[in-house]
Amino acid sequence: MTNQQDSMHACPACGLLCDDISGDAIARQQFSCGKAAKFYARVSTGAQPQIAGRAASLTDAVAAAVAVLKQANTPLVAGSSTDVHGARALVRLAQQTGSAMTHMNASSTLRNMKVLQHRGWQTTTLTEVRNRADVILMIGTDVVTHNTRFFDRIVWVDDAMFTDPAARKIIYLGGDKLSTKPGVSPDGRAPEVIACAAEHLPEVVATLRALVMDKPVTAASVAGIAVSTLKTLADTLKAAKYATLVWVSKDLHYDHAELTIENITETVVALNQKSRAMGLSLGGSDGDTSVNYAHTWLNGVIIDAPEWESHDAVVWVNSYSPDAMPPAGTGPVIVLGAPDSQFDATPAVFIPVATPGLDCNGQQFRVDGSVTLPLTAAKPSDLPTLSQVVALIEAQLQGDLA
Amino acid sequence: MITLLKNAKVIDPANHKDGVVQDIYIRDGRIIAKPADSEKIGQVHDLNGKIVMAGAIDMHSHIGGGKVNIARMLLPEYQAMRRLEEPEAHICGANCSHHATPNTTDTGMRYIEMGYTAAFEPAILAVNARQAHMEMGDTPMIDKGGYAMLGNDDYFLRLLSQNADQKTINDYVAWTLHATQTIGIKVVNPGGISAFKFNERRQDLDQQHSHYHITPRRILQALSRAVNEIGIAKPLHVHCNNLGVAGNFQTTLDTMGASDGLPMHLTHIQFHSYGTEGDKKFSSAAANIAEAINSNKHITADVGQILFGQTVTASGDNMMQHLNAKVANPKKSVIMDIECDAGCGVVPFKYRDQNYVNALQWAIGLEVFLSVDDPWRVFLTTDHPNGAPFTSYPHLIRLLMDKTFRNDAFDKLNLDAQAMSNLKSLDREYSLYEIATMTRSAPAKLIGLQDRGHLGVGAAADITVYTDQADKEAMFAKPDLVFKDGELVVKEGKVVKVVWGATHTAKPAFDVGVEKDIKQYFDRYHTMQMNNFKISNDHIAEDGRNHVINHAQG
Ligand code: SF4
Ligand SMILES: [Zn+2]
Ligand SMILES: [Zn+2]
Repeated sequence: MTNQQDSMHACPACGLLCDDISGDAIARQQFSCGKAAKFYARVSTGAQPQIAGRAASLTDAVAAAVAVLKQANTPLVAGSSTDVHGARALVRLAQQTGSAMTHMNASSTLRNMKVLQHRGWQTTTLTEVRNRADVILMIGTDVVTHNTRFFDRIVWVDDAMFTDPAARKIIYLGGDKLSTKPGVSPDGRAPEVIACAAEHLPEVVATLRALVMDKPVTAASVAGIAVSTLKTLADTLKAAKYATLVWVSKDLHYDHAELTIENITETVVALNQKSRAMGLSLGGSDGDTSVNYAHTWLNGVIIDAPEWESHDAVVWVNSYSPDAMPPAGTGPVIVLGAPDSQFDATPAVFIPVATPGLDCNGQQFRVDGSVTLPLTAAKPSDLPTLSQVVALIEAQLQGDLA
Repeated sequence: MITLLKNAKVIDPANHKDGVVQDIYIRDGRIIAKPADSEKIGQVHDLNGKIVMAGAIDMHSHIGGGKVNIARMLLPEYQAMRRLEEPEAHICGANCSHHATPNTTDTGMRYIEMGYTAAFEPAILAVNARQAHMEMGDTPMIDKGGYAMLGNDDYFLRLLSQNADQKTINDYVAWTLHATQTIGIKVVNPGGISAFKFNERRQDLDQQHSHYHITPRRILQALSRAVNEIGIAKPLHVHCNNLGVAGNFQTTLDTMGASDGLPMHLTHIQFHSYGTEGDKKFSSAAANIAEAINSNKHITADVGQILFGQTVTASGDNMMQHLNAKVANPKKSVIMDIECDAGCGVVPFKYRDQNYVNALQWAIGLEVFLSVDDPWRVFLTTDHPNGAPFTSYPHLIRLLMDKTFRNDAFDKLNLDAQAMSNLKSLDREYSLYEIATMTRSAPAKLIGLQDRGHLGVGAAADITVYTDQADKEAMFAKPDLVFKDGELVVKEGKVVKVVWGATHTAKPAFDVGVEKDIKQYFDRYHTMQMNNFKISNDHIAEDGRNHVINHAQG
């Protein structure tokens, strides 16, 4: 049995990894998702390696990158916007050059990891939510800003095994500038919106947790929300067959937001004493899950936090975010990345590499962590892959050492 | 080139050799008959009567996949121990580790250093198989393989509740083996992982599933029959209902009868051998379990020995791990429901010899080992990392081979636990031949690796050379030489060459017509395409190191 290469592609432009993108949709540039449209509109042709902004051969660019790395005492592998194969290559490069390794989404990833490493959590995955969730509570997020097709693919679906999808109860709790329209059911039922600014979520979520745990709450309101409203919410969660509490780490970007996340996950833990509920962390990509996971199995530890000041050279990979660059003033920078990269400051070395899922095949983790999907070259190009370029760099580093 | 191992004292139970001194010839990764005198011998190792066994095979060790990686993430405490425990001589990754959550590099290194040449991941969630294979693909030195979990997936439970015929079930099971690139089928807490999603907290063998109205017994019948009828070697791998619960031995005994005499393997049976006697309502039922194994010839079991120290338990059994999370140490855990396919529970534990339950668990495991007569039907495992890291195998082997050592350890246990165990009355000491049986010949036979686990002509040259020593822990911790597919890869316990091994699979014939209905299910209910669920040989070989070895079945 072989994997038939049918015409469907998995879209790596966000953590949802929708794998129903037809070759035809790509050819016609017809998408129900703006992020996908932007991703598949990218053009890789004409990109060439550069040294200090001037066109160079791949061999010379590799030699220049090696020269930068050899002069550096404390290089950093950063950005790391790639897939599993790219992550493996970067981990090897980091090991060989004694570099720390981080990711452009490290701060949101590590916010979740702090919770995981402190208390653990109880979570679910997309297919479970699709088939079981009767109550979906989104905390501090509308999800769709990050995962455009969440409601189309997971919530308002035609069929579910254990619940009536059209009857699901959708609740938004707090957050800034939410787009709640996707939460309207197919038959026009509006979602419940319990509004507060994201910065007030710590107290609001702490109160919700206390109410779920049947702890006495004396205040009449929290951050402008009546406690009775939160009590009703707590009762709704308890009565649910499968309550799903959703957060997006990137949307909880205030100080000590990990404490809010922990209150969400501990609310789930409390609910699971008697009924069923699960957490679901959404958002994500630039391969953040893949990179953190591969880093973990290859090194036994999660990715590092970025500390730009303490590094004297940066290997920057921006395959899914051509606009992203390290903070100004860091350098010298070696970009192994998007052929359509946009530079404010010219990097020391630029080597365009194939983007997995666009120019070449690959494998990517979905945001819920349990599912990995193959990425297929939607618009094959002959750019080298990140692994190939890293292999060239490694070979030369090794050769120079020998 | 021919390699000659001269004067090898061969212990090879598959070929009934117990200490025969002979020469072994290797060519192209295989053991060959004595070549003609005219043929040139490239490399000669004079072993002067050192002990030679086939490479050991771990038939149950959690080495890759979602829950293993979660365990790594969950325990940064271990990272503080990094590099501190560095033993004298080996090659390691940048973050060398020798504990319960090794990275993939260290997993391969630690195994081969002990003379193990293959390990099988026993709990591959079908939907997570791609990740499991990625991690195993990044595990050097040894061969890998896995068992796919079925029996809590909604597709199968729907089939069963709709009274699908056995042929349909067989086809689905075979399809799963192909799709997930595995070599066996496992069921974890039959029906229980699914029941937990419907807010059930226990699932007994003859209790109807609250949604599907079928019993775990029916699940075991259907799956054991499917595995038997599609003709794969590996019997259904069963993690019984009621893991870890006092009194669960009765479930375990009843489970032995659930396959109507067809072969079944009961895994980490130590965790399923508990009675309810004594003040603490927790006792050893190892004698009952061992007696039942002895008389039920269709049953095999691995022990899942616990050893004292910090570890982390990673199981598909989220129902029972959700209960165990209350006694997590350190106090944290991860419980997941996964893709209408399965679940997982990751709970750190610290087993302490002064804790009554832990001390008795230790004794129960050893009681089972020493009371099961046939070493072909009981397997040496710690259920890595659940009972202890696999790196403690040499210690466990010494406990089995050295009664004085075992009794000295027993004397240090919690006194109440001592009073509840008959371990000291068990005089048995395992022989080298029996250890070779349970770690080489028997696992190869069980899994269906015809050319592994023995030293006959035609076998793969996975070979371990030991110096016989009184201290069996020292002997098994550090073999003199290890050959992987004929290449010398370990010398004096130190890796001298990095190789990558292969992935073993079983792909029995089946009616591809079954895919039509599976595809409909994916299209209606899943969040991925069926084709993306399937893993090709190319994906296994993707980074140019690993490859698939498929074993013809039947
Ligand atoms: S929702 Fe995300 S994965 Fe799906 S098509 Fe849009 S960007 Fe791609
Ligand atoms: Zn080491
Ligand atoms: Zn196990």
